[in-house]
Amino acid sequence: MAFNGPILLKRIPDEASQRKLIRYDDYVASGGYKAYNQALAMKPEDIINVVKDSGLRGRGGAGFPCGVKWTFLPKDIFPRYLAVNYDESEPCTFKDRYLCEYDPHVLLEGIAIAGIANRISASYIFIRGEYHTQAKILEEALKEAYEKGIFGKAYPGTDIVHHCYVHRGAGAYICGEETGLLEALEGKRGWPRIKPPFPAVAGAFAKPTIINNVETLACLPYIVENGAAAFKAMGTPTSSGPKLMGVSGHVNKPGVYEEELGIPMGKLIEKYAGGVKGKYKAAFHGGISMGVLGTNQYDAPLDFDIGKAFGVLGLGTACVTVMNESTDMVKVARNCVRFYAHESCGQCTPCREGSAWAYKMLNRICDGRGKAKDLDLLLEIGLAQGIMPGTTICGLADGTNWVIKTILQKFPEEFKAKIKAESVQGVDVTVGGVKV
Amino acid sequence: MPTMEIDGKKVSFEGKKMIMQVAQDNGIEIPAYCYHPGLSIVASCRICLGEIESPDPKDPTKLVRVPKLMPTCQTPAVDGMKVYTKSPKSRANQKAVMEFLLINHPLDCPVCDQAGECYLQDYSFKYGRGESRFEEDKAKNPKKDVGNHILLYADRCIMCTRCVRFTREVSGTSELAVFGRGHKEEIDIFPGKPVNNPLASNVIDLCPVGALLDKDFLFTQRVWFLKSSPSISPVSSQGENIYIHHNQGRIYRIKPRFNQGINKWWISDETRYGFEFVHAADRLRVPERLQFGSSTEISWDAAILHADEDLRGAVKAGGGLACILSPFDSTEEMFLQIKCVRSIDPQAWIAMTPVRIDGQDIVLKNPQTGAVTYTVKAEKAPNRKGAEKMMAHFGGNICTLGELHEKVKNKKVTAALLSSDPFPAAHVADYRQVLTGIQTLIRLGTRGGAVYERSTLSLPVCTWAEKSGVFENFEGRIQAFVQAIPPLDETRSAGSIFWELLGNNGPYDVRTVRGLMVAAGLNDYGNVAIPEGELKVEEMQFAAL
Ligand SMILES: Cc1cc2nc3c(=O)[nH]c(=O)nc-3n(C[C@H](O)[C@H](O)[C@H](O)COP(=O)(O)O)c2cc1C
Ligand code: SF4
Ligand code: SF4
Ligand code: FES
Repeated sequence: MAFNGPILLKRIPDEASQRKLIRYDDYVASGGYKAYNQALAMKPEDIINVVKDSGLRGRGGAGFPCGVKWTFLPKDIFPRYLAVNYDESEPCTFKDRYLCEYDPHVLLEGIAIAGIANRISASYIFIRGEYHTQAKILEEALKEAYEKGIFGKAYPGTDIVHHCYVHRGAGAYICGEETGLLEALEGKRGWPRIKPPFPAVAGAFAKPTIINNVETLACLPYIVENGAAAFKAMGTPTSSGPKLMGVSGHVNKPGVYEEELGIPMGKLIEKYAGGVKGKYKAAFHGGISMGVLGTNQYDAPLDFDIGKAFGVLGLGTACVTVMNESTDMVKVARNCVRFYAHESCGQCTPCREGSAWAYKMLNRICDGRGKAKDLDLLLEIGLAQGIMPGTTICGLADGTNWVIKTILQKFPEEFKAKIKAESVQGVDVTVGGVKV
Repeated sequence: MPTMEIDGKKVSFEGKKMIMQVAQDNGIEIPAYCYHPGLSIVASCRICLGEIESPDPKDPTKLVRVPKLMPTCQTPAVDGMKVYTKSPKSRANQKAVMEFLLINHPLDCPVCDQAGECYLQDYSFKYGRGESRFEEDKAKNPKKDVGNHILLYADRCIMCTRCVRFTREVSGTSELAVFGRGHKEEIDIFPGKPVNNPLASNVIDLCPVGALLDKDFLFTQRVWFLKSSPSISPVSSQGENIYIHHNQGRIYRIKPRFNQGINKWWISDETRYGFEFVHAADRLRVPERLQFGSSTEISWDAAILHADEDLRGAVKAGGGLACILSPFDSTEEMFLQIKCVRSIDPQAWIAMTPVRIDGQDIVLKNPQTGAVTYTVKAEKAPNRKGAEKMMAHFGGNICTLGELHEKVKNKKVTAALLSSDPFPAAHVADYRQVLTGIQTLIRLGTRGGAVYERSTLSLPVCTWAEKSGVFENFEGRIQAFVQAIPPLDETRSAGSIFWELLGNNGPYDVRTVRGLMVAAGLNDYGNVAIPEGELKVEEMQFAAL
């Protein structure tokens, strides 16, 4: 474990007043597109192997090994597409935006490298609908990259020309889910697809497609230039490399910071974000969908193994939102569930109906009309959701599940306190059968 | 053949099939809303989930349990697999999905047409929890008029999207879509674009709940009073297989009957709503004879006697006979009709009433795959093919109506035994011409009209729903239909009239006639498959699947 300063953010100064858009020339002057040129001279298999060896795992939330994902592309079937997930709609998450707002070329270089490695014909950058300025910035950077021949050119020794497009979403969380994204890209309703077929076999426009998060791709230039070992030197054995971590909420200095994976959350908050404002109570460590870290989990290491050890779903986006003692956790639950009820695409019965039901219940509890029996039912509705129990098509419902489950289980007394006093007197309030 | 086990029952299957399909093929019920064998798989309702044990690819003698519930409609069957849809986990999911589907449902079964054939009701009973734990306010979605025949009660919709997929994949017209998101989403049409395609009302059958309802059937009958009889479309040469749903002598609706080779799970709206003529107010009910210049009601005994005398009298007087077939009669009836006329006048001319052709065949396609999904035939009669076959079989003097016209004018033909078209419309005008000047016209028909006015003897016959027989579709498939309701008033089937005219004793029975046809060398009629008779209400539902 050794982290000697920013990798992805190396061109973006900490000091806000000094930050400015890094154009192609500045990018190249600071060593940009060197990895791209290196990659051009490499055999595609070799690039894939370096990425595999680096242990780079997806930065979009699921943490799937990037190099392994690439090998799922069926051999010798072309054209192949790359869908770049810049939807970044996960609440609390703003890392991709920060990176590309200032340094769009690091993404474009990553795309170019992934293109070489996988002989991609077209890369589609699917950017969140609300990112207006960012889309413009990206468009301009892309124009520069085309002018400099990064795109629109055949890979050496082939006649496969790599094109890259910016595609703007229309503002729906579900279009960040990889197959919802593909549907939206095809101009359809953003309804996640059932699998199989997997996107690697039949993705965008029924062609083999890789889907990668912005940050995942932005790691590629470093890996190609410095080798797998250098990347692996950062982080933990199962979670290698640096990670962008957006810190927000009750902290003194919110922002996007870069650290190696495995850094304890408390250290991140104190070292970079100026510490907690007030007294720490809880935190979303990876967007809301991973569930909440409790009051005694302040020092949870932010790596891909966080799930099992700390009773959360996973690392998610590693964007931390801190909540201090003034926070009403029941209202937090309500706010999160409102989000899922609003963003559910509506295909799967449990997600469509369950999220709205849970939201209505939480509203009632917040209004002081809750009943002792509500909490068990709320938990039951939560647990009925998600790909993990198998009841839904996509992972949005797992978010509903984990938010409800973790907040209820980690802060049961707050719910109990909200429930109308007279209805609680002499009545046991239980969460999942356990008395609180 | 690969085998698997579903809920403890060993079954075998062939080819690439989903677990759900294998279960349905073997009569095992797994609850399903969104799955329909005729539509794409979306696996979104989530009620069909089961626990699965699959052979370990590394050691096929071992079974590994998939840690999560799997959609049986979307999971391929694998040799050696075991599926549990009644395990505690599967049951818990069924209960949960049922509860979720009902939280915003109005529970207005007493005023819902679907009650009695509703999957929400059936599955609530079988898989639900009996009481609701939902204490919040229900969402209330509106009723909408979405087509000439279709109402959408959006509050009863469970968002299975079967209707949407049908209009996208089968009718190819895409009128229906999902609007909104999450629990706010609704099925709707685009403004000013109602669901009026030639297959539109199939979405009513497809809807597993009472959301899409038939305006024509609305509030006319509780479905549990309906009896179901297998039949064939009487208004198209396509030969669509149908069920007639009826009660106490009245037809209430027509539903599709699955036939992979012809109509699959669907029927055209023209067939679905093409039964009004059965209950037309102007149906003829009693035999009538032109006597002393005016029409007089007579008994059937007298009518048969007169028919026989009139035909024989015409031949004795030196005239000739014509036998005019109707493409709306069964082949058995045509066989007897020709036999009857030729037995009196072996040189009798045989012709057929005109067949209505409405423009061109309407060919519907799946816009994504380009595959033809349905053809609505331009030819609007069920049995032209049967008539042609009978004419070819008997041979001899066969002519067109035009030629017959000449013969009537030249007094070569002076009497005709005519079976008439139940749809007197423009296309039959020319045959009215043909029959001008004929001395004796014995006319079998269901309704009045110009030809009726001209007939010397009118024999009121029943419609296809009131008799049995076979029709032969445009490609020559011989298909049986069975009598659904009793004949109206004194009406009789044309077949029974010819049967009696031929001097036979005993009742007219289509099987006996088919026996005679086989004896006459028409071997195709030897083993006509008779579709199963009455269906119970539960079976009606399964048939709609
Ligand atoms: C509801 C939902 C929303 C998601 N939103 C995003 C998103 O905004 N951005 C993103 O990169 N991944 C998102 N994901 C994860 C993607 O499905 C996918 O795992 C990821 O883009 C893969 O890229 P990676 O392997 O590089 O991480 C979302 C997943 C779900 C279930
Ligand atoms: S889980 Fe929810 S968001 Fe995901 S596909 Fe199902 S209904 Fe849509
Ligand atoms: S209207 Fe009926 S068929 Fe259409 S989605 Fe709703 S329940 Fe399904
Ligand atoms: S029938 Fe399988 S999910 Fe609907």
